[in-house]
Amino acid sequence: MGGEFEGVVRLRRMPHARGQALLEFAVVLPLFLLCLIGALDAGLWAVQTSAEVSAVQEAAMIASSAGSSPVSEKAPDARAVTAAISGRLHSALFGTAIESWCATDANGACAPDNTQQCPLTPAQVQAADGPRVVVVCVSEADPPACTKPPPGQSSPWPLGCDDSPMITVRVIGFVASLVPPGFGPGAGGFELPTDISATTHTLRFAP
Amino acid sequence: MRRTRRRGDDAQAVLETALVIPILLFLVCNFIAVMVQVTVQEQLNSATALAAQSRFQAPESAIDAVGTRCCGLHGVTLITAGLPTGCRYAAETFYGTMTTYVGLLHWTAATLCTSGGDSGDASNPPRQPVGYNGSPTNAEVSCDIGSITAAGVVVRGYVDRTLNPPAGLEVVTCNASASLDFSNTPLAWGVFWTPTIHAQAEALPPPFRQ
Repeated sequence: MGGEFEGVVRLRRMPHARGQALLEFAVVLPLFLLCLIGALDAGLWAVQTSAEVSAVQEAAMIASSAGSSPVSEKAPDARAVTAAISGRLHSALFGTAIESWCATDANGACAPDNTQQCPLTPAQVQAADGPRVVVVCVSEADPPACTKPPPGQSSPWPLGCDDSPMITVRVIGFVASLVPPGFGPGAGGFELPTDISATTHTLRFAP
Repeated sequence: MRRTRRRGDDAQAVLETALVIPILLFLVCNFIAVMVQVTVQEQLNSATALAAQSRFQAPESAIDAVGTRCCGLHGVTLITAGLPTGCRYAAETFYGTMTTYVGLLHWTAATLCTSGGDSGDASNPPRQPVGYNGSPTNAEVSCDIGSITAAGVVVRGYVDRTLNPPAGLEVVTCNASASLDFSNTPLAWGVFWTPTIHAQAEALPPPFRQ
């Protein structure tokens, strides 16, 4: 050694040093990927949930409206509501199918909203419609029928019998995500549960 | 010159890892916490907006009968007897919509309906606002009709006639506030802040009102 390189220290990598670097890389890479995928998924989940919240709010206003007539007593059903908001949901819930949840009548149409039973858990949707599916469900809670008040009580009776019905729109199911199998909360893999609902009184006139 | 690995190198690698991993997890925890905050804020905005619109969905002169109650979270009941039915509608809508993440929220208690509004402006002084005595003060949302700004202070319960004389423009304003507490979640490991979120929404009466 001499000349212009004199005094410069050369480091030779030892075989065990290369082995250690490989080991460190093998340890750090999964952690790094876990953090990266976790951050990406958290962002994706926030975008999807925000889209669902705003879509459900719009859906509640649609479902509580009078439909085609201001004196109509029948609310738009789940299929009509789903069609109205599916464009907004599709833009955020990529990789996820969006369907209506409605029990049908004899003609194949959605039965009235006050007879609909929405799924209680995302797993119920998965069991019925498969993975990475969210459903839009519209249900209506009608007030009790007014009756003649018992002695000493004033009408209307029972309390709340003259209220307008309450409409609940629910978007529930599993949305596509980057979560690998076994890591998600209750998910089979590459999906996360979602359950967003909105409730409002109807805008319809009392019959 | 040959450089051999010493025990200090191994210690340094362990130290680096011990430093980097908590920092990385801290960042991820806080990133997730911000995402949760954004989502809860969205839901609070939605619940408040729907509540404001529900305020006008009851018949205009309907008053809740004695014994009427509704809807509080965590087993708290709101007694709405004597209040306009629209106040209860607003509360029912708010609580019916704000169903997720409620375990993370510490609410700021408010009076459900302070007043119903009255007409007035600078040239035509308003009468006293219509106060609703007995309105529950443990509600998580408050909805009032009308407000004017006098000497820079917003005074609720009045309707500004200048907006839409002579009857005034009925505008309902709903407010809700809560702080987001991560202490009972796994995120508490790395999230040391407690953000406060607030939502305000306004609504006008629909054109066809009973």
